[in-house]
Amino acid sequence: MISFDVKLDRNEFSLDVAGKFDDGITAVFGPSGAGKSSLLNCIAGVVRPDSGQIGLGGRSLFSSEENIWVSPEKRRIGTVYQDGALFPHLDVRGNIEFGWKLLDADEQRLAPLEIADFLGLSHLLDRKPDGLSGGERQRVAIARALATSPQLLLLDEPLASLDAARRGSILNYLKRVHVEFEMPMIYVSHSISEVVSIASKAMLLRDGKVEGFDRPSALLLGAAAAGGDIDSFENILDGVIGDSTDHLTTVKVGDVEISTRHLNKNPGENVVVSLGANQIILAADQPTNISARNIFGGRVSEVWAKQGKVFAEVDAGEKFIVELTENALNELGIYPGSDVFLVFKSSSVEVFDA
Amino acid sequence: MNSDISIVGLSLQIALVATAVTLPLGMFVAWLLVRKQFQGKFALDVIVSLPLALPPVVVGYALLWVVGTNGWIGQLSESLFGSTLAFTWIAAALAAAIVSLPLVVRSFAAALAGVDPKLETAARGLGAGPVRTFFTITLPLAYRGVIAGTLLGFVRALSEFGATIVVAGNIPGRTQTVPSAIFTRISAGDTDAAWRLALVSVVLGVAALAVHNWLLKRSTNGIESSKGRDR
Repeated sequence: MISFDVKLDRNEFSLDVAGKFDDGITAVFGPSGAGKSSLLNCIAGVVRPDSGQIGLGGRSLFSSEENIWVSPEKRRIGTVYQDGALFPHLDVRGNIEFGWKLLDADEQRLAPLEIADFLGLSHLLDRKPDGLSGGERQRVAIARALATSPQLLLLDEPLASLDAARRGSILNYLKRVHVEFEMPMIYVSHSISEVVSIASKAMLLRDGKVEGFDRPSALLLGAAAAGGDIDSFENILDGVIGDSTDHLTTVKVGDVEISTRHLNKNPGENVVVSLGANQIILAADQPTNISARNIFGGRVSEVWAKQGKVFAEVDAGEKFIVELTENALNELGIYPGSDVFLVFKSSSVEVFDA
Repeated sequence: MNSDISIVGLSLQIALVATAVTLPLGMFVAWLLVRKQFQGKFALDVIVSLPLALPPVVVGYALLWVVGTNGWIGQLSESLFGSTLAFTWIAAALAAAIVSLPLVVRSFAAALAGVDPKLETAARGLGAGPVRTFFTITLPLAYRGVIAGTLLGFVRALSEFGATIVVAGNIPGRTQTVPSAIFTRISAGDTDAAWRLALVSVVLGVAALAVHNWLLKRSTNGIESSKGRDR
C-alpha cells in the first residue's frame, strides 16, 4: 500500500496529486506533460516534492511536516525505465546482481538466477546490454529491479520503445511477475490500451492534477478528453493456441474461442492477442450468412459517450472494448444490460508470442 | 648528464604531485559543474578556468602572494614548519596544479557529461549510495576520458614554466625543472645541453599526447556506436 500527497512547483509546471494505491497493479496515465513521470520521480525519491507526504506500507518516505526524506537507495522501490537504463559496462548477470549484492544476506529473498530463469534470460547472462534486443533489455531491467526484493515496482513507460510484437510479451511477463512475486506495481503509460490490459485501477492525470481514479476502461473517455491517443484503442488479451485448420487457427481467450488467420503455432502455446476496438461490430441480433468468422454473444456492461465518441464494454466471457458511433448507439438502443453480438473478422486479430 | 637525470626526476616529481592534487580536485569540480545546480556555478567555472586565460606569470605572482610571508598559506606554513613554501618544489607543484587544473576540469567534465544521468538514478534506485554510484557506474563509464584528462594535466604540469619560475624560482637541485633548466642553458649559450633537455620534453609530450588521443578516440567511438543503437 502506497499513499502520497505531493505538491511540486517548477517553472511553468506544477504537480498537486494525492492518492492511495493497493497492492495490485495501478496505472498512472495521461498525455505527455501531465506529470506522470514527476509523480513517479517523487515516489522513487529522485525528486523531492515541495510539500506533502509519501508513505509505503506504514513507512514514511517523505513528510514535509516532520521533515522526513528517505533517499532513493533506502526506499526499497524498484524502477524499470522506458529504455531499460541497463549499465552498459556490465553483462546481464552483473546488471541483475547489481542491487542484489548490496542487500544484507537476510534481505536477499529472491535469487537472481531464478528471476533470470523466470524471465527467460538464462541463456543471455554473459551478454552485454549492447547485444540484446529491446524486449530482452526490458526483461533484464525488470529482473534487475526484482532482484532487490522491492516493496513496490515502478514501471515508467516500459513498452514505449518496443514494437507491437514485443509489447504484448512484456505485458504478459509483467502480469506473471505480479502474480508470482506478489509484487505491487505502478504502471505509468500514455497508452490506455496497455493500461486496460494490465491494471486493475488507473489514475488519470492532466496538467499535474488527478482527473479520475477508477477502473481503467471507465477512464477511456476521460483519457480522450485529456488528449490521450485512444483513436486506436487495442484490446490486448492473453490467449492460448487451440486447434488449426488449413486456413484458420483458434485462440482461446478466457472462455472465448477466437478464430484468426492460420498461425504456425502449436496447440497450448501462450500468445497475446490484439484486437482494435474499431475493428469490432456490434449487432443487436445474431447475424447469419456473414463472412466474419468471429461472432460472440455478450452483455453490455458499460457504455461511455461523450462528444460523439462512444465506447462500450461487452462481457462475452472475456471483456472487450468496442468503439461505435453515437448514431449506431441510438439506433441499436444499446445500454448497460443489453444483450448484443460481437462480430469481427479473423484477419482483424493480431497474435504475438507471449 | 647526471644533472639532466636529476632535473628530469624533479620535474616528474613535481608533475606527479601536481596531478595527485588536480585528479581528485578536478573530478570534484567537474562533477559539481556537470551534475549539480547551485548558486555560484558560473563563478566557480570562471575561477577554475581563469589560469587558462591569464599569463602564467600572473598566476605565479598571485600564488607568491598567497604562499609568501604575507599570505595565509605562507603564515600557516611558517608557524608550522618555520618557513614559507615560496621557492620550494612544493610551490612549483602548486603552480603546476593550478595552471593545469582548467584543462583537467574541462576534460573530466566532458567525460562525465557523456555518462547518462539516468544510469546513476537507476543505480541509486537499486540501493547504491552516491559515492558507490560514482565509483561503480560513473567512473567506469567515464574512465577513458578521465585518464585522458589526467594525462593532459600531467603534460601541462610537466611543461609549466611561467608561474613556476615566479613562485619557485630556478634553483638547481631544488626547484629547477626541465623548462627552467632549458631557459638557463639557452641564456648561458649552452645549446647542446639545452637541446638535450628539449628532446626529452618532446619525447615525454608526444608519448603522453599519443596515449591521450588514442583514449579519447576510443571513448568517442563507444559513445557514437551506442547512440546509433538507440535509434
